[in-house]
Amino acid sequence: MTKKTSYKVALARIESIVDIVENQEPDVDELAELVKEGTKLVALCKEKLRNTETELNESLKQLDQND
Amino acid sequence: MSHLSLFQLNSLVKKTLEDNLEATHWVVAEIGEMRLNQKGHCYMELIEKEGNFVSAKIKANIWSYTYRNLSGWFESITKTPLQSGMKILFNVSVQFHEVYGMSLNVKDIDPNFTLGERARKKQEVIQQLMDEGIFEMNKSLLLPEVPQRIAIISSETSAGYGDFISHLKSNSRGLTFVTSLFPALMQGDNASNAIIESLLKINNNIDQFDLVVIIRGGGAQSDLDCFDEFDLASYVAQFPIPIITGIGHERDETITDLVSHTKMKTPTDVADFLINGLERVDDILNESIFRIHQSGNVQLSNSKAVLNQAVSDMKISIIQNLQKAQTVLDRKFDEFKYKSKESIRLSEQRLLNSQDKLLEKSLMYIDKNKQTLSNFEKQFELLEPTSILKRGYSISRINGKLIKDLEVNANDEIVTEYSGGEAISVVKTTKK
Repeated sequence: MTKKTSYKVALARIESIVDIVENQEPDVDELAELVKEGTKLVALCKEKLRNTETELNESLKQLDQND
Repeated sequence: MSHLSLFQLNSLVKKTLEDNLEATHWVVAEIGEMRLNQKGHCYMELIEKEGNFVSAKIKANIWSYTYRNLSGWFESITKTPLQSGMKILFNVSVQFHEVYGMSLNVKDIDPNFTLGERARKKQEVIQQLMDEGIFEMNKSLLLPEVPQRIAIISSETSAGYGDFISHLKSNSRGLTFVTSLFPALMQGDNASNAIIESLLKINNNIDQFDLVVIIRGGGAQSDLDCFDEFDLASYVAQFPIPIITGIGHERDETITDLVSHTKMKTPTDVADFLINGLERVDDILNESIFRIHQSGNVQLSNSKAVLNQAVSDMKISIIQNLQKAQTVLDRKFDEFKYKSKESIRLSEQRLLNSQDKLLEKSLMYIDKNKQTLSNFEKQFELLEPTSILKRGYSISRINGKLIKDLEVNANDEIVTEYSGGEAISVVKTTKK
């Protein structure tokens, strides 16, 4: 997964990783890989969310200034 | 058998006549033919008619000396020369000449008989015109308002015609007349027919004329009998436009004068009559123009006043309307301003609401996702093999491979990963 991966795709992948872990009984090694990938994706999503929040706040600040 | 010679017989006739007849007789006869010879002797044929039938006829003469006296006297009284067709009371002596036969020698004439005779004949013609109901016809026509187109019956060379034209053209106001001459003989036996012929010509173009003028003048005041003839009088009486006569004579009016619309004495009088008529019209016109002008001025000034009033009324009404319109406009503008502001305010409100909602939803979304992500994070933390090891689990591998489906044999070296590190052990035995 690159940084360009969209939030939506990332979230879907996270959900599918959870599903694999819960239902497909991966072995420890596979689990370790999946958890690593999932943790990375969660971090990515959190970053995106943070950026979005920041942008949102910026926009709102601009709107307030224009009033 | 005893006999007479012709001369003896004629002499006997002559003597018998002389013995038995008076020296002179008064006799009424019509002049059938009449001529003067070079010496001034007058030779006539006297007749008596019953209708068109000649019942008696005889030759007559007037010797030149007698003729000069008698004809001058006759004409001075009757205004007419002796001429054929006249009924005359003659004083004659009967003469019989052995070679030339019987004839009458005129000694005297009684002009009063001719006057009376003429008056009687004239009365007969008048009576006939009245009996036929045409006597008043031309008189009953109305003169046109502006008689300017004049048909003239006259002799072109006559002094009367010249007088008439020059008088008409030289009127003081410069009134215009359009004249057309229809030439005709104005005296003698053929005059009546010639005048009738001209009347017929005028009648062919009757639309081009307002009235007819029959004029003659100058010359002998005598030969007017043609104007007493029934045929001419009948045409004149029945002519469709007014006829004015100016025949120019001293004696009693002719019948043509009597039946014409208006009788004037001379051609100059006729011209004056026409000029006066036109001058009257001219006066009326001038008066009318003056009055039109005057009433026009009054109406103009009235109209001006009305117009001025209307203009000032209009100004006031325009100003009032403008003010009203201004008020309406102002109100509309206020309304518009208010509504615009209101609309903007509502839009702003809506926008603010949207903005709030957007903010709220966005925050909610972010919170929810944060929660989700944090759940995942926790899940992944729990699933981390390290944390499994911490809970007391260990992972065993033979040659790096997980002991899961592998066959484990005695003496196999097992590497066990646990929370504290790794332990290497050798398998003693296996159980199935």
